[in-house]
Amino acid sequence: MLTAALGLTAFLVGLAGSWSPCSLSMVGTIGAGRRIGGRRLLVLTETAFAAGLVVGALALYGLAGLAGSTVHSHTVLVVVLVLAALAAAADAAGLRVRPQLRFQVPEGWRRTMPLPRAVFLYGVLLGTGLTTYLLAEAAWVLLPLSFAIGSVPVSLAIALGFAAGRALPILVLVHRGGETVLAERPQGLRVLRLLVAATLVAALLAGEARAATRIANPGGDPSGVGTDLAWQQPGVGGFLLRAGQPAARLPGNDPAVGDTLVAWHVGPAVTVASRDTLTPVIQETVPGVQKLAVSSRWLVWRAAQPDGSVQIRAQPIADPTRSSLVVSAKHPGILGRPSLWGDTVVFHYATGGATWLTAVDVQTGARRRVRFSDDEQLLNPSLLGNRLLYVRASRCAQELVIGPLGAGRERVLYKLAPLAGQDAGHEEHHTQQGEHLPCPHRPKPTSQMLWTTALTGTTAYVTVLRPRPGGRTVPRLLAIARPAR
Amino acid sequence: MSEGFSDAIAGVSSRRGFLARTGKLLLGVAGGGFVASALRAQKAEAFHFCGHIYTTGSCPHPTGLPRIDRLGFPLRASDGKPVDDLGRTIDALGRPVDAAGNVLRDPDGNPLPKAPRTRVCAGAAKANGFKAHLDGAWYRCCGGHLRKLVDCCGYVRNRINGDYALTGYCYQGRKVFCVMYYDTKVKC
Repeated sequence: MLTAALGLTAFLVGLAGSWSPCSLSMVGTIGAGRRIGGRRLLVLTETAFAAGLVVGALALYGLAGLAGSTVHSHTVLVVVLVLAALAAAADAAGLRVRPQLRFQVPEGWRRTMPLPRAVFLYGVLLGTGLTTYLLAEAAWVLLPLSFAIGSVPVSLAIALGFAAGRALPILVLVHRGGETVLAERPQGLRVLRLLVAATLVAALLAGEARAATRIANPGGDPSGVGTDLAWQQPGVGGFLLRAGQPAARLPGNDPAVGDTLVAWHVGPAVTVASRDTLTPVIQETVPGVQKLAVSSRWLVWRAAQPDGSVQIRAQPIADPTRSSLVVSAKHPGILGRPSLWGDTVVFHYATGGATWLTAVDVQTGARRRVRFSDDEQLLNPSLLGNRLLYVRASRCAQELVIGPLGAGRERVLYKLAPLAGQDAGHEEHHTQQGEHLPCPHRPKPTSQMLWTTALTGTTAYVTVLRPRPGGRTVPRLLAIARPAR
Repeated sequence: MSEGFSDAIAGVSSRRGFLARTGKLLLGVAGGGFVASALRAQKAEAFHFCGHIYTTGSCPHPTGLPRIDRLGFPLRASDGKPVDDLGRTIDALGRPVDAAGNVLRDPDGNPLPKAPRTRVCAGAAKANGFKAHLDGAWYRCCGGHLRKLVDCCGYVRNRINGDYALTGYCYQGRKVFCVMYYDTKVKC
């Protein structure tokens, strides 16, 4: 939705650019191809112009998106969104576009170069949108939006939309005969600016919707596959949401979905069933079972032991008579909820000295520590193919992070304020000299805590815990759209 | 701060302490508001927490002011409650607690996981690539209690401020990288 809305905005901004002097000049310049070399040269010139527009737009907006994908500054995004809202308001009100560019493409190229080459270069310049008069205020925010959103698909949509919007009226006018049709109809620009404002607002709303959507409240411990999502409502039981259907209550707790299966438990009685029909495939007793994960080959559970310790164990779906120990911990609260993808189970291990995320191949027993920190908390990972989703709580933020299972670039999908504030750094009536504060900006702390996660091809899910009296917490389940890359 | 003891500033400190006591006496005798405000101003212009008598900066601390317990772990300066590296208040076992001191639990009733809790000087040393040492200390009366002013020492050339480190209460060639304090239960 965000990508489409911004692509449409860029298309309309490109259309609005038709009223710029350079665009009007292009109509006659490209049309000259027919007079000089006939239809063949005209087609060549038109193709060169369109190609130039695409190259210019892709170069500028694509690079901005690539650069932005490495930065991901929340502050930058907020500033750009404010600018975009102001631009939408200005276009809706029809205010004069300010600041204005007084550039024009070099007129001499059409006389000193072969026409297709000159027109290609004109296209490259006009494709950037920043080399001639701007006819919509939104033109100013397309580039910052590309950078701030930091998504290459979004940037590509902006680039191609803008190039198409620039090319379409010029090429049509070349064939329909004369740019004066546009020059005599300035009211069309007014309508276009209204449409630009509307689509830009739609894009901003779509971006807000992408930030986080509430799925269940109370509800938490999500597990997802494809478009199906299961979660637990405390004190009630498990729920399964299938695409296009209302959420259905499952006959048990702590549900997990994987491949074609779904699992739940009622006390120690664990059931693994077909996800489509809920027909049981396995029914067994696992004393102390707390959490489940399932794939077509494995059932994994976390269970409390009689001595107070906690274990994660894996059992082949094909052979329910044997299970193998994945990991154990002496006390509850150390081992996180397991997540399973194929043969690989991931979980967190948190001690007072460090936290780490471990991936274990339950087929071979091979294990590796995929993340480690002795000053941050790394919690409740989920795995989908090679993509790892987890919660990272640091001194100055809580973040939902996605990245490769091994080393590689990570992205923050969702962010909450830190769990604690900070003092002034100096005592009352004392100077600030020598103070050292933990966060660069004074944080406004929250008592809400990011908790368990789930990952599907399109969506990341996270449980947010809200404290209640007595140390209890109540979960709320959020969905965040995953970026396409 | 305490590193001033072995530097020239120590003399200034002694004189300042003497002047402060004398000032209070004069204040009591004469009730001179002007003198009192002048002394307060001098104190406020000094350093960033009570007892600190030189310019070395605080050690990085989860909540800001570098208050520690007797073992060097971080305490919240405002109320002396222990905090972990995330700045959360915790119980004696390191588990996060709410404002009333209840252990925070997940929806299943299990305690929420502990976060790391690093000794403040050790954290500064790790972040800045030296081995932490707590050598000597100095005591002052602050807020009605004796306060132990503690230097975080190491074989460092520069202090946390970025300029040259001082000897302070560090021994065997070590220098003060940053400063902390421990509020004792002794009233003064």
